[in-house]
Amino acid sequence: MLSPVKRLSETLHPALMLSAILLLLVYLVIYIVFALNLIQFPFDYDQGEGFELVDTILFSRGEFPYQDTNIYPFYSSNYPPLFHVIAAPFVWLFGPAYWYGRLLGALAGIVTACAIGFAVYRAGGRQWGIALLSGLAFLASNTIYHIAPLFRQHLSMVMFETLAVVVLANVNEIQDQRTRRRVLFTGLAFVLAAGYTKQLAIATAVAVFVFLFIRQPRRSIVWGIGFALVGGAIFVWMNLATNGQWWLQSITANVNPFIPDQAVGLFRLWFSLHGFLIVPAALYVLYELYFTRLSIYSIWFVAGIGVSILSGKWGAGDSYFSTSIAALCLLSGLFASRTLRGEWHFPTTNLYGRWLRPFGRVVKPLTGIGMVIIPLLYLGYGRAVLHLPTDAPIFSTIADVLQIEPNALNGFYDSAGRIAGGYADIGHLTTPADIEAGWRIVELVRATDKPVLSEEAAFNLLAGKDVITNPTQILNLAQQGLFDSSALIAMVEAQDFGLIIMRAQFYPIDVLQAIARSYEITETIPMNGFEYLIFTPRAEPLQE
Amino acid sequence: MFSNHFTLSKRLLGLLLLIAGVAGFAAVLAIDVLNPAREGGIGPAQRLALGLCVALALVGLTLIPLGNQPA
Repeated sequence: MLSPVKRLSETLHPALMLSAILLLLVYLVIYIVFALNLIQFPFDYDQGEGFELVDTILFSRGEFPYQDTNIYPFYSSNYPPLFHVIAAPFVWLFGPAYWYGRLLGALAGIVTACAIGFAVYRAGGRQWGIALLSGLAFLASNTIYHIAPLFRQHLSMVMFETLAVVVLANVNEIQDQRTRRRVLFTGLAFVLAAGYTKQLAIATAVAVFVFLFIRQPRRSIVWGIGFALVGGAIFVWMNLATNGQWWLQSITANVNPFIPDQAVGLFRLWFSLHGFLIVPAALYVLYELYFTRLSIYSIWFVAGIGVSILSGKWGAGDSYFSTSIAALCLLSGLFASRTLRGEWHFPTTNLYGRWLRPFGRVVKPLTGIGMVIIPLLYLGYGRAVLHLPTDAPIFSTIADVLQIEPNALNGFYDSAGRIAGGYADIGHLTTPADIEAGWRIVELVRATDKPVLSEEAAFNLLAGKDVITNPTQILNLAQQGLFDSSALIAMVEAQDFGLIIMRAQFYPIDVLQAIARSYEITETIPMNGFEYLIFTPRAEPLQE
Repeated sequence: MFSNHFTLSKRLLGLLLLIAGVAGFAAVLAIDVLNPAREGGIGPAQRLALGLCVALALVGLTLIPLGNQPA
């Protein structure tokens, strides 16, 4: 006979699950609206997107973007090639544009969510409701929402990482040798793809080989040698083909100063936004660690948190938590599935199981309320990650009803606030006025016969001029004494640039000083919530 | 260990984690010993690394009593 608590839980469960699914589906709609909005925006939205487009254009011409930044056009990329290589055919078909990179990023987010849902469905007893919630939770994260639909490679890396762990999760249980080898090969190919999409995939590579080592050291070592040979051969080939620029630009230049306060702030933010799912995910890891076998997902979660520490680097940010967010959505889904199935076992053959035995009598009657607690966790998560445009049609009505005031740029509410250093100040929708302002800047670029130095690539690309410098990359290099600014400063002092356009003033300090001496601000154009400073040559340059 | 049927036990995994934690702790401290020219003593990143090494060692210690159960 059912206890009253259990009976009540079973009655409430469907309504609560439906509410949680509907809430997270609203975030899916917001994700799609944001992606569609950005796809139609022809300029840089997030700082640096344009340089990813430049990398893509270079690859489409068969050129490497890892170049000597000490000579004109002072340009180099600091990212691995795969995302840009995948996007390169779009350049052949459609020319330089932002929409396809943003489409690829948004689709990568959706594929990752589907992979998370599939993994939870497969390993969690085929509970479609929890599987759906797990996938939707990933897209509902504030971080994933504002990173995925950008012309950036980060979400593609997370997609390859997630596919790798999902493919490899049960590889040790495959009896047929040929099938097992094929699955291992596929999984490790995804790891390699992730690594050549962005360097942070090192976390997943470590997690995969630790998992394989724990289950069967011999297999881990044999396949690890093969993996290192293939990955190393590609690395050496690229380094030789670029005269060492690949190593300098993608590895050496990325060793930036570590700001502990930034890492601590971002970890606090990560917990405050995702805590409703982090706690069950962590409990699931502890359960596996002490009472069953460690899955690849638990090891991946720990590795993902480990690599998130690098978010404290200068130039890093909340995107560094994306891998851990994918893992926590997956593990919390497994926690939820196990709870709903009532399959928590603490064997008394286990030391800690014996310690927990006295609590068993208390805990057992409470298991019924898991049917209420689990959907409430997702509802709590849905509330914690609240983000929506407050000015757009329909959303403005929702904002009015919920009495939500915008707390970020351009009519956008983000529960993350804007307090943690390194948190990307984006997520708002672009407007026709932003597009108009962008074209106004392009017209200014077209109006000069001289080259233009711009912190964002879009204006030069659309005006048909050379893209000169990648400011954050030369700042990375300058901070380590690896950038010789003399040629660039000589051009600035000779007023060789018809215009200089800046938004964040990311150039090395000596370049900024040279600009201040030789150029002056003659116009400020607001776009996208930021002020674009238009510098023109001074009639009388200032003395040093 | 290199047989096709060998798998790590909770005890062995615990021992490996304990060794890694202790070795990591010593290595982080050794940065200042091997490079005395560094100024400022143990910095924030080092303190973070030391904390992680301690946590790793403690997790390792708690796994050792679980014996031959597969990890």
